[in-house]
Order: sequence, then C-alpha cells, then structure tokens
Amino acid sequence: MRLMVLSGVLMLGLLSTHSVNAASIYAGQSRAAAVCSQCHGIKTPSADAPFPPLAGRDFDYLKLALEQYRDKTRKSDIMNALAGSLSDDDIANVAAYYSKLKP
Amino acid sequence: MKITKKHLSKSVIASLAALLLPIGVQAATADAKKMHQLYEDNCASCHGSDHGGFIAPGLNSESLKGRSPTALRSIIMTGSFDTLMPPFYGRLTDDEIRGLVKHLQATPKQANPAWTIDDIKASIKVYVKDESTLPAKPTYEIDDINNIIGVAARGKYGRGLGSKAVFINSVTHKQIGEIATGTAAHIIDYDPANPRWAYVKNDTAEIFKVDLYSMQIVRSVKTGFNGPGLGVSRDGKYIMAGSYVPHNAVILDAKTLEPLKTFELEGIDPDGKMVSSDSGMIIGTPFADIFAIALENAGQVWVVDLKEGFPVTKIENVGRHLHDAFLTHGGSKLMVASYDDSIVTAIDLKERKIIKKLEAGCVPHVGGGAAVEVDGRTLGFGTNFGDCDKMVVSVWDLDKMEVVKQVPVAGGTESPAAHANAPYVAVDIISKDRRARTVQLIDKKSLEVVKTLDVGGHAYFPEYSADGKFLYISAGYSGDEVVVYDSTSLQKIASIAMESPAGLFSHGRTKYMTRGLSPDEMKGAK
Repeated sequence: MRLMVLSGVLMLGLLSTHSVNAASIYAGQSRAAAVCSQCHGIKTPSADAPFPPLAGRDFDYLKLALEQYRDKTRKSDIMNALAGSLSDDDIANVAAYYSKLKP
Repeated sequence: MKITKKHLSKSVIASLAALLLPIGVQAATADAKKMHQLYEDNCASCHGSDHGGFIAPGLNSESLKGRSPTALRSIIMTGSFDTLMPPFYGRLTDDEIRGLVKHLQATPKQANPAWTIDDIKASIKVYVKDESTLPAKPTYEIDDINNIIGVAARGKYGRGLGSKAVFINSVTHKQIGEIATGTAAHIIDYDPANPRWAYVKNDTAEIFKVDLYSMQIVRSVKTGFNGPGLGVSRDGKYIMAGSYVPHNAVILDAKTLEPLKTFELEGIDPDGKMVSSDSGMIIGTPFADIFAIALENAGQVWVVDLKEGFPVTKIENVGRHLHDAFLTHGGSKLMVASYDDSIVTAIDLKERKIIKKLEAGCVPHVGGGAAVEVDGRTLGFGTNFGDCDKMVVSVWDLDKMEVVKQVPVAGGTESPAAHANAPYVAVDIISKDRRARTVQLIDKKSLEVVKTLDVGGHAYFPEYSADGKFLYISAGYSGDEVVVYDSTSLQKIASIAMESPAGLFSHGRTKYMTRGLSPDEMKGAK
C-alpha cells in the first residue's frame, strides 16, 4: 500500500504536467485544513479511523473522485454531502494540495 | 479499516439477533443498556461518565432539550470543526448514531457515581513487579533528563491507538519513548525527587506510573471516571489525584499507587450554599510537605498536610468556579484562577489564607502559569480563555501582588510559556476560527505582543525546552504534529508527528517550579 502511494508520488514528480501554482496549493490547504482533514488528516488519518489517506495521492485521481462525489456518480452519503458544494476551482485546489503533500 | 470490519460484524450479529428474537424480548431496557455502553465506549471520556460534561459539553435531556435530532446526528457523523469532536461516520452505524441521539435526549445527568477506596485499590495493575530489575540509567542517549518533554497525545477519538504519552528529547527533537494510555492522555507530572518517575493521567482518570529510564509503564491505577487533577509531593513519596466524576480526591503511595486516603469534595461556596464539587488543580510544592487542591464549585482551596491522618486546612471564599493555579515565591504562594469572577486569587500557603484577589481577563485559565524576573520584579502571566471584548493576558507584580498590565492579544488564551533564557512569553490563541492556528509572543520587557506564529492545527500549550533554546507547540486537533521553533529567531526547526497532541510538559519544570523562573528560585525554598 505504502509502496504504491510512494511510487504514485514518484510518478507524479516525473510526469507532472499540471501547472500547480503556489496560490492554488494555499487555497487548497485552507479548505483541506478546515474540512477534509477532519476525517482524512493532513498527512495521515487517525490510526483508528476508517478513512483513506489523501496525502501524496495522484492529482488526477483525487480530482476525479471529488468530481464524481459532487456529481453523485460515485455514491457515498457523507462524501456526496460534503463535496456537493465544491466548485471546480475548490476541487482542483484541494487535489493540488493533497497530491503535493508527503505522507 | 479494522474498526469498520469490527463494527460491521457486530452489526451483522445484531441484525441476525434481531431476526431470531421475538419482538417482545428486545425490550427497551436492553436497548438502553446497549446505548449506555456505546456512550461509555465512545463519548464519556470527554462528555463525562455522568453525562454532565468534562472537557466537552454535558449530553443529557436538559442540555439537549429542543435540539434537532437530525442536527445532532449530523454532528456525530461529521464531527464538529474547530473542536476536538471527531467524526463517528464509519465507526458507528447509522442505527447506532440515531439510537444514541434518542438515548441522550432522554437521559438526565446521572447521580455522582461511587468509586470508593476499595474500587481504587482493586484497579491497581502491576506491569513491573520488581522495580530493582529496571535499568540504573536511561537506556537511550540523553545528556540531562530535564531535556525530556512529555506530550499528552489525545488521539483523534480521545481513545485508541493514537492516545498516548510521547516523550521527546528536546535537544535532538526526536521521540525517545511512548506509552499507550487507552484514552486521551491529559496530564504528565514528574517526581521532583527522583528523575526516573513520571505520572501520566488520562481522561478516564487512570494514572500510569512510568519509568522514564526504560520508557515503560510500571503500574497503573484508576482513581475515578473523569478528571485531570494530579500532583506529586516534593519528596516524591505521594501523589494526589482529583476527579470531576465522582466528586472526590485521593492520596496515593507514589511507589505502589496504593490509595491511602480519599476526600469527599464538598463545602460552602462563596454564595453560602453547600455544594458537592469537582476537583480542580492539585499541586505539590517545593515549599512544604503539602498538597493544595482547588474545589471548583465550592470555591475553596484545601491544604493537605502529608502526615498522619492527612489533616486538611480549608481556605474558603477563594472565588467562584476555581480551576488551575501556579506557584511563586519558592512555592509558598499560590495563584488560583477563578473562572466566574474573572480574578486570580493569591494564597499564602504558609499562613494558609488569602493574600489578595487580583483582576484578570475573561475566564482566567492560567494553565501551568508563567513567572519571569524582569528588572528586579517578578512578573506573573495569566491567560484568559473567555471570548469577550477584553481579550488580554494579565501581568501581575507577584511581590506587590498588583496588576501591572492587561496585555491586549488576538483572542482567548489557555496557557502561557516562559523561560528565564528566552526573550518572549508565548501564549496560545484558542478562539474558534483561523486565530486558533496561532501563538502570540509577548516581549518580557515591553509587555507587548511582538510576533504571531502561524503554527497550524489548533495551536496550544506552548512549552520551552529546559535550556530555553527551543519553543515547543502542539498543532493539535487535526494538525497532528508538535512543532519546534528556535526561541530567539522564531524559525521553525522541527516537527514531530502524532495524533491530536495537547499538553506539553517539560521535565525542566521540576527544576524551576513555575515556567519562566530561574532554578535559583527553587533554592530559596529548600
């Protein structure tokens, strides 16, 4: 699991085609700190938590997942509710922030 | 992930049972019992075993009257942002959450439960039978045991794998050991006479005797259900613990953790009413063989002599709703915070009487307190955690016992840190918005805020390393790290990851009694 995440980070580093600027990471950070981290933590969720870690995950994966939760094409009562109000920018910012974090 | 599975299988079993049992047998009482157990296992360590509240609000039919069950259900599911309330989504099933809401809205605050001296005695667990088998010196590299900083890590859920006391070498900023505390660690106190012992108390009133040389628990005892009060006597022979639930305190033999005497906490409050009382701070002092304990609701401070029969001298009328305190003048004077009067009362422990009531800010919470010597004066610093128009840190002249200044700060504050060798007094801003990420630094000389650090998480409980070179701060709640700054340059130099860190306790406190004083202050006491 850890290996997969790590290689994901490496690949992201090598293939990084997204122009992730500091402003969007900062915007993502404040939303992540205020909302996402409540369950997913910043670098890692609680050892006792049933939530997946987000730090260091692939940018495209995070973005797609949030879009699907928002559009309810991926079902989760809690994530559908939380992602429901996110704008495209919010999603890109949060994905940029978490994808750049080292777990 | 494991937990989801466990709950899943539990709920599968429960629903199987529901299918197999005739409806009449699933009596309401069984359901109430189950909900009570769920409450005890998930909520009580913060909200109080008696439903009356502890570090979090009381959850009972009175406090939840008129609240929308849907809103309560969603708070339990998602947690409450900017507080310690975690999300129980995925840990509790939807049926369990609905059941809990119903149960809480129908359950009155419970009567003070019994936890007698026999219960305390029976709860002792021995992990190391023969203490002579323990190593004679630390099993890790450390120049001075005072360099240890203990962190009370709460764990996201206030219990579980993340709940532990973590010990850090404040020179290398590396973890040197940890002990699991089951529920959130709250207070760490050290034996002032023998550097090897630490005592850790958790939110369910269990005390762990820890051997710092081998970083392991030697013994444990459960002194009540909830309550942070814990003190160690100057000779290291006794510890005293006090509870919110039930309303009692106990003196234990520090070596064996055997209870020696319990005290029912009750008395006449400043308004003339006889009340049963929570235990506030408990403190041992280098000044004498005594403990001082604050009776929160009774507004009294009791001084217990550590001799035959443990006689008590009661100091009445100290203030309304007392909480914490700090020592000054070689430990002969005690500064006690009174929430509801917005004062800090100075008590002479020699004469055992009130010296003076000093003005504070809104809801004074002095934490461990701080005192510094500046230009020939000893100045005490008091934090105030109320949110009101007057958001200040109080500074008093502790010789004259008068207010020097109310220093304006950005919000409510909970704990001041100071060190004889560090230029700033650090205070944690805890107001529930972005300000909670910050710590402000007050210049010792100008008594003005000169810098604000953006620490992250819910930044609180600043603490200096024993040499004063480093400032440690918990980035608590979801911040999940302890952050280290250079005390002078204020550059961030290290981070130590852990779940929901809270109180930071330097072993150096045994050297300088109150943070900010020089070790010379202690010499006067002996």
